[in-house]
Amino acid sequence: MVPGATITEKIVSRAMGRKAKAGDLIEALPVDKLYFNEVIGPPAILNFEKDFEDVYTESGKRLQVFNPSRIAFMPDHTVPSCSIKVSQGIRLMADFAKDQGIAMYKEGDGIEHTIASEEAFVLPGEIAVATDSHTCTQGALGSLAFGIGTTEGENLLATGELYSFTVPESIKFKVSGKFQRGVYAKDLVLHILGMMGEGGASKRVAEYVGPTIDSLDMEGRFTICNLSVEMSARTAIMNPDSKTFAYVNQALSRRGLTMTDEMRGMAAISDSDATFSKVVEVDASSIEPTVSLPHSPANAKPVSQVTDRIDSVFLGSCANARESDLTIAAKILKGRKVSPNTNLLVIPASRRVYNWAMDNGLLKIFADAGANIESSNCGPCFGKHMGILAPGDRCLSTSNRNYKGRMGSPEAFIYLGSPAVAAATAIEGRIADPRKYLPAGED
Amino acid sequence: MQMRGTVAKRFGDDINTDYIIPAYLLQESWDKQFFADHAFEGYDPAFGPTCRANKESIVVAGNNFGCGSSREQAVYAIKYNNVVAVVAQSFPDIFFRNCLNNGLLPIQIIDTSGISIGDELVVDLDSHSIRDNTTGTEYPIIATDAAIETMKRGGFLGFVRERLRQKLKAVPMRAPS
Repeated sequence: MVPGATITEKIVSRAMGRKAKAGDLIEALPVDKLYFNEVIGPPAILNFEKDFEDVYTESGKRLQVFNPSRIAFMPDHTVPSCSIKVSQGIRLMADFAKDQGIAMYKEGDGIEHTIASEEAFVLPGEIAVATDSHTCTQGALGSLAFGIGTTEGENLLATGELYSFTVPESIKFKVSGKFQRGVYAKDLVLHILGMMGEGGASKRVAEYVGPTIDSLDMEGRFTICNLSVEMSARTAIMNPDSKTFAYVNQALSRRGLTMTDEMRGMAAISDSDATFSKVVEVDASSIEPTVSLPHSPANAKPVSQVTDRIDSVFLGSCANARESDLTIAAKILKGRKVSPNTNLLVIPASRRVYNWAMDNGLLKIFADAGANIESSNCGPCFGKHMGILAPGDRCLSTSNRNYKGRMGSPEAFIYLGSPAVAAATAIEGRIADPRKYLPAGED
Repeated sequence: MQMRGTVAKRFGDDINTDYIIPAYLLQESWDKQFFADHAFEGYDPAFGPTCRANKESIVVAGNNFGCGSSREQAVYAIKYNNVVAVVAQSFPDIFFRNCLNNGLLPIQIIDTSGISIGDELVVDLDSHSIRDNTTGTEYPIIATDAAIETMKRGGFLGFVRERLRQKLKAVPMRAPS
């Protein structure tokens, strides 16, 4: 009997038009969607022109990307621009996008991985790549998505193909049990990083299944996939279900589009007899609100064991700044004040989330509590243009990396936690358990 | 095909690309050499001068070297300090592919603990092995034939240019979506 296939194997098989299994070496893998931020976009464009212009010329063609409708540019890391060079890079991308017919998003439209799903740019069953390691976020849609470097970016602009791709094996994370009060997707994934270590899923796809995953909304699923790269997973993926399709339908309808049979036909799910290199069982009901201590995302501890002083709280990033994240933080901060010794910085994950938070009174709650609110961008997580930490500073962040020096000084200390932990910590000025601030009945 | 070099630096496990080149520099230049000048700036500022002291240096590490961010500038930061190879026990995929694309050899062996700073290593891609001339120890390289071939070619560029040439001959390049 032919063994079943994982969702990853099925997506590659669909793209190749023939059966592919884990371990197979694919000489040229066609990619469905490709997006660039303003960090890698400019050098990738310049290298594309430098390395391929003569090939187009000798073929009697003008320089032309493989398919502009499959490419998007999303400036997000240090916007509004923080330096002359950054502005030059964004200008270069905008000019190239206009010349080639590529969609160019504006500064403040949002973080690339948030826009890619909110705009239904990436769809279930597609292969999507982008010049950022957190491209794995799109795995929550049931797409095979991962980060690439500058050179692969320029190659993809030319041919739309990824070369010498080995179909990865998968680890199945089987998650069951109901979350305790005050526990969210972020706590689960930090707990899993703690179990696995920074290299624990190396070269393999982290595939998440089980009743706990089924019960999560799409936003929680994005958070889990987003952080999976912190255990060096090739990427993360989840099997699309009715929630996935409802999310994608809503995203399409905001653009006046509907899901076609062709789009729906791209989606795949793992067979029950698919082969996994490893199965990891996780009991979600045993997890407490969790923080990762300096200087590793895998350095996870229950929040009840930590009371360290915190100078700066960042609620934002591609990990945790969507509607549900801001909602839980606003519930905790409503009618309360940020500690006089602590700065709270709130950055919604996209312009859409920002405007939604404004319309629904959340921005007022944050402002009344004493928060600083910025337009959508990667913020302090990129360590370049805002919220930079000094030596000795301690920051609690809802982002995904707490490496030494990530947000400024290598002598600063970064802790990772959920939006609920961030809000409670902002109030107390030290790492705090969010459960005591949750309204009665809130879970 | 052989490459030889002197071990200039040793690292432990989980060295991430933020340590290799901090983010605040990434957008400030499109010149690869710029990143070499700032390699390991906040983590090990002696990295550049130490590696440049040899004509051909080799960096040795434990598990998971180059984890985290996809920034290819991390490879430039290492390579343009006279580093020809990184020998480690494992590499995450993105960093490994970025190395291949830039002709920096990402050499995986089972155990790097017997290699010391100052050792002379010979990387022999034909025999899939490296030899520590100082200790006389030989280590098999863990790599697919395809990866070894790419290392010998110094990347994919020639292949991609040929692929593009073929695609441009066949019109249209790809059915419009």
